[in-house]
Amino acid sequence: MDAVITTESLRKQYGRAAALDGLDLEVAPGEIHGFLGPNGAGKSTTIRILLGLVRASAGRATVLGGDPWKDAARLHRRIASVPGDVSVWPNLSGGETIDLLARLRQGRDSDRVAYRRERERLLEVFELDPRKKGRAYSKGNRQKVALVAAFAVPAELYILDEPTSGLDPLMELVFQRELARVRETGAAVLLSSHILSEVEQLCDRMSIIRSGRVVETGTLAELRHLTRTEVSFEVPHGAVLPAFPDAHDLVVTQGRARFTVDSDAVAAVLPELARFGAPGLRVEPPSLEELFLRHYGGDGAGHPDSSGR
Amino acid sequence: MSRFGALLGVRLRRDAAQLALWILGTAALAGLTYVGVTGSYGTEQERAALLATAVANPVILLFRGLPSGAGEGAFLGFLILPFLVMLAAFMSSFLAVRHTRADEEEGRAELVSATPAARLLPLAATVVHAVIANTVLALLCAAAVAATGLGVRGAAVLGLATGAAGLTFFALSLVAAQLVRTSRAANAVGVWIIMASFVLCGVGNAAGTPSADAQRVESGWLAWLTPFGWAENTRPYDRDDLAPLLLCALAVVVLVGAALALQGSRDLGASLLPERSGRARARASLAGPFGLAWRLSRGALLGWAAGGLVTGVLATRLSAVLDQVSTQVPAVQVLTQALARDGSLAQAAVVIFFTMLGVLASCCAVQSICRARQEEARGTAEPVLSASVGRLHWFAGHAAVAGLGILATVVGGILGAAVGIASLADADWSLLETVLVTGAGQAVAAAVFLVLTALVFVVAPRLTIPAGWALVVVGMMLGLFGPLFGFPQWLTEVSPIAVAPTVAGPDVDLRGLVWLLLAIVLGGGASALLMRRRELAPAG
Repeated sequence: MDAVITTESLRKQYGRAAALDGLDLEVAPGEIHGFLGPNGAGKSTTIRILLGLVRASAGRATVLGGDPWKDAARLHRRIASVPGDVSVWPNLSGGETIDLLARLRQGRDSDRVAYRRERERLLEVFELDPRKKGRAYSKGNRQKVALVAAFAVPAELYILDEPTSGLDPLMELVFQRELARVRETGAAVLLSSHILSEVEQLCDRMSIIRSGRVVETGTLAELRHLTRTEVSFEVPHGAVLPAFPDAHDLVVTQGRARFTVDSDAVAAVLPELARFGAPGLRVEPPSLEELFLRHYGGDGAGHPDSSGR
Repeated sequence: MSRFGALLGVRLRRDAAQLALWILGTAALAGLTYVGVTGSYGTEQERAALLATAVANPVILLFRGLPSGAGEGAFLGFLILPFLVMLAAFMSSFLAVRHTRADEEEGRAELVSATPAARLLPLAATVVHAVIANTVLALLCAAAVAATGLGVRGAAVLGLATGAAGLTFFALSLVAAQLVRTSRAANAVGVWIIMASFVLCGVGNAAGTPSADAQRVESGWLAWLTPFGWAENTRPYDRDDLAPLLLCALAVVVLVGAALALQGSRDLGASLLPERSGRARARASLAGPFGLAWRLSRGALLGWAAGGLVTGVLATRLSAVLDQVSTQVPAVQVLTQALARDGSLAQAAVVIFFTMLGVLASCCAVQSICRARQEEARGTAEPVLSASVGRLHWFAGHAAVAGLGILATVVGGILGAAVGIASLADADWSLLETVLVTGAGQAVAAAVFLVLTALVFVVAPRLTIPAGWALVVVGMMLGLFGPLFGFPQWLTEVSPIAVAPTVAGPDVDLRGLVWLLLAIVLGGGASALLMRRRELAPAG
């Protein structure tokens, strides 16, 4: 089956600043694809191009087999989205906003009974009062308005830009359940986030973006292959450490030895560990956070993207 | 820098460009009026004749100041002081809301109030900011008038009266912003207070006691209820009396005190008047881009249509009065003839008022197009364009509402004019032809402003709001006041409202209709073509 989203060497210039600098992204049907990166890395710009709100300066983007810029209105019938910075009309109530956005997406001939049922259910699970005016909603409640509007009408593709920002942990769970539900229907999801635990829990595959390029893409397991696993254990007083093959950065502090091995070479050190005994052994695969820091840590923190988009 | 200094500094920086425009515009109006006075009412006799007519026909006093004799300076005050006060009042009222309720609404106030600046210091900085703005306004107005050679004393009184009244309206809006929940509502309350004061003062003057020579009027008590009345009773270049301004000072002290007390006792973001909750479900009409644009603009449209209705009534109702003025004052005759070509004076009155109607309709159109820009800058265009709505379709919704606004304003004017004709003792229904032709012509002229603003929106989004309003102001200055200020004809005719079809005597004069239509077709076509290729341009 063809990919739901494909971009090839996507570029976007804002004046002199390059928001995207040759971005290659692929989202397969039925998968939840994490789109990770710090603020200003180009996540929202990519999403705006995929939604046909802005046009790529160079490169190619295909969404559901169409051109997101030329076929925007037609494609959007099959896409649900939540923008990165949710604004609502101050003088429209939440209920009116949800109804309006649903009507704009589905047209008049759609299944209204199903929509109403779904809307009521979502209002209930997200605990949202639809009668409040837009200006009276807190950030979290504005986010809920956008989420209910996105989930109330079925779609083949969900493009969500940091959808849980402002939600409390209980609501994050509700969101995760809804995401699981739409995945059951076979829909694909592009989930932009900088909350690593969220991506780690939900996503089948992920792409890490930095300064307008995808620097890493794959499943969490695949990404872990690129990094090292940390091994640590207690060293009894006076014991002599054997030599471990493939061990890197071995240190002994406060009676504990620590070293790292390539994640696909963990098995090679196990025999030596067994011989030594290795009391209090801990083998820790790298967390997504460590993967992330590998790309952004150190000098990465000193590279805030200039565009801010 | 002290905390207070920082708060004041950020206000001055944020408003510098905007206030410079208000203040320079107001001062320029004061100076330019002198040119108009010497041009149109050069002799003492002409001025005395106009004053006598005004005193005898109180309706005129509704739209002018307080007659204080036929001297050049005093006459200038009679013509323009209420409008200088009105400009200062709008400037000050918007300033009050911008730095209080609007800041609160946008969450900036929360950011500031969480610092040791707390709750009252920002309000105090806003008060000082307004004092500075009105002082500069007073100084520049005085300087502009003094520069004409009329004398410094009267100029100083005129400037002070303008600034003091402006500050009083600032204080009124400051209290209004404490009472209501949104900046939109606070601005609306401010505008209504200003317009109601203006009319009350006019009625008070009209109901006042004229002097024996019909050159002066003592204000009635209604006028003394309003800052307009206080400012006008200083009578610049006549009595030069600053005592009425003590009322302004007293009102400012009391109102600012009240605002501080309210601010000190209420919660951030709260108001005395609670807000109603909305509908749980959208009505069927809130569906497409047009339904949305209509929902967002309908209140404003209704306001413009009501303004059109009033203008229409005045157009035919006032013509009886104007008839008398014009026969007695050659200068007025010249002015009205210039606008009406060779028509009767009743026709001329309709043409003048319907030119104002054209300005109202243009304002309505520009405001509706600016709404599209606000939607984009605020981020509410993004979810609409991310739904199944094409770029052109989205913008066409706003443009259609703008067109509907023009229609509503002009139809309001035509209905008002019909009511005005019907209310006259000897109703002259032949005037209706002039009303219909001029109304339709001004609708076309307003559509030119719609199309030009739309083109700016498509090509240079960030300029939409300033450019749109600047177009209307320039169009109004050239088309409506150009003849009064003696501009050359070619310059006046740059303005669409000055070349719209009209009636001259028995004939319909199409004037620049072809050019107006051409501008609409070309501008509209270009906007539509370019809009299809236009990217979203969020704020920033």
